[in-house]
Amino acid sequence: MTSLAEKIARAAGLPVSGYFVREYLADTFAQRVSDVAVNNAEVLKRDDLLLVNARVLAIGLTIETGGAERAVWVAEPPKGSGHPDVGRQLAWLRVSKETMKPLAEKPLSEIVAHLAEKLPGEEKEVILADYLWNLIHHNPDALKEDFALLGKKGVEGRMHEQAAVVGDARNLWIAPGAVVHPFVAIDVTGGPVVIDEGAEVHPHTRIEGPGYIGKKTILVGGKIREGCSIGPVCRVGGEVEESIIHGYSNKYHDGFLGHAYVGEWVNLGALTTNSDLKNDYTGVKVYVCGKVVDSEDTKVGCFIGDHTKTSIGTLFNTGTVVGCMVNCVAHGGLMPKHIPSCALVIKGAITRGQKFSDIITTARTATGRRKHQLTEADVALLEHVRKLTRPELVEASRRDRGALVGQA
Amino acid sequence: MTVEERVINVTAKVLHMDPTEITLDKSFTEDLGAQSVQSIELVAAFEEEFDIEMDEDEALAVTTVGGAVNYIKTYLDK
Repeated sequence: MTSLAEKIARAAGLPVSGYFVREYLADTFAQRVSDVAVNNAEVLKRDDLLLVNARVLAIGLTIETGGAERAVWVAEPPKGSGHPDVGRQLAWLRVSKETMKPLAEKPLSEIVAHLAEKLPGEEKEVILADYLWNLIHHNPDALKEDFALLGKKGVEGRMHEQAAVVGDARNLWIAPGAVVHPFVAIDVTGGPVVIDEGAEVHPHTRIEGPGYIGKKTILVGGKIREGCSIGPVCRVGGEVEESIIHGYSNKYHDGFLGHAYVGEWVNLGALTTNSDLKNDYTGVKVYVCGKVVDSEDTKVGCFIGDHTKTSIGTLFNTGTVVGCMVNCVAHGGLMPKHIPSCALVIKGAITRGQKFSDIITTARTATGRRKHQLTEADVALLEHVRKLTRPELVEASRRDRGALVGQA
Repeated sequence: MTVEERVINVTAKVLHMDPTEITLDKSFTEDLGAQSVQSIELVAAFEEEFDIEMDEDEALAVTTVGGAVNYIKTYLDK
């Protein structure tokens, strides 16, 4: 319901005065937070500061803003929690305007490194979203807290008299403009459910809480099981469990998506399915930035980047990572476990079979269908992602091309 | 074998044709009936044959057998 930044701001009781992001993300990100400065060093000079690590997952957390300057470090996470062994990680810095004054012109990374070393430190139990599966794992708790703090419940939209709520109806909020059709079951015994403004739930849909159905999202029938955040403007059907589906993505048809993280403008063809549990119940290993990481979790689905499309019948193995702008054409077997951005997968082989101009044309078509325009900043970001990940794509396509040619 | 012969042999293998049916002026799609997936396979097969990495935007813009020969020759001469 709330973004990670909104959760942090809520935990601190302060509005966000500025964001600092990787430079190649800045223009696109600025489009989304037009009222707040992005990568603008001026915000570092204005007042006393709270500089928060954007990976802080502010669930059940209070960030103290008063008191002396501090570098607050993340207390060592318990073993088996799926977080990296990278030594101490900074959670946030509380710093005065006077301390900042001589530093403000330096690059942010230098400022943070300097303050982390100089300020008195303390440790606090803080959850960091080090990997995407951490977000999925903690999403049910985040949904419950968001609902508790939302302060809204009941039916402000329309709920057909032949739709049913299972459990305490005070755990449900149907926002104004949302419509729930007959033969829908909303089970709030495991947690609250929010159906946000303009969303529509078609007949033969079962929603289990905790869950969030975003603005103007349409559920077209199926099982939306616990721990899902979907939307805005998604079209979702089939079976979805403990998954995060970002805006404007579609999984219209049958097929199972579990413990998955899906980016924006993704389209999953009918019967696209992922495994989220290995047959031997061991921990799932996931490809992350050139190495394989043990998630230390037995329930891990797939991770799919923006603008990726899958054909009918696409099958993803447990812990599969799919980049942005990928086109997966099913062949009856499992897709490769790591598919670099811009790949075209045919006959199970990763190829460089997509022209970038065609990718952008398709992206313009997809966004246009939802009355959105792909901006120059959006295209520049996609182009940057393509360049950033190109070595992975070249290596994978070189590895797979022999097998592809052998099948010809 | 010359580049021309190797390109024709690779094309014949991917498109399941007799090499004698393939000439340099033939279009992969219109004359030889290559489907879109086979176009991708052709690029992969040429890369495998010549041990090169072609730019996909340029490679997929090539429409004829002769065009592929010229493109690969240019690439090999670099």
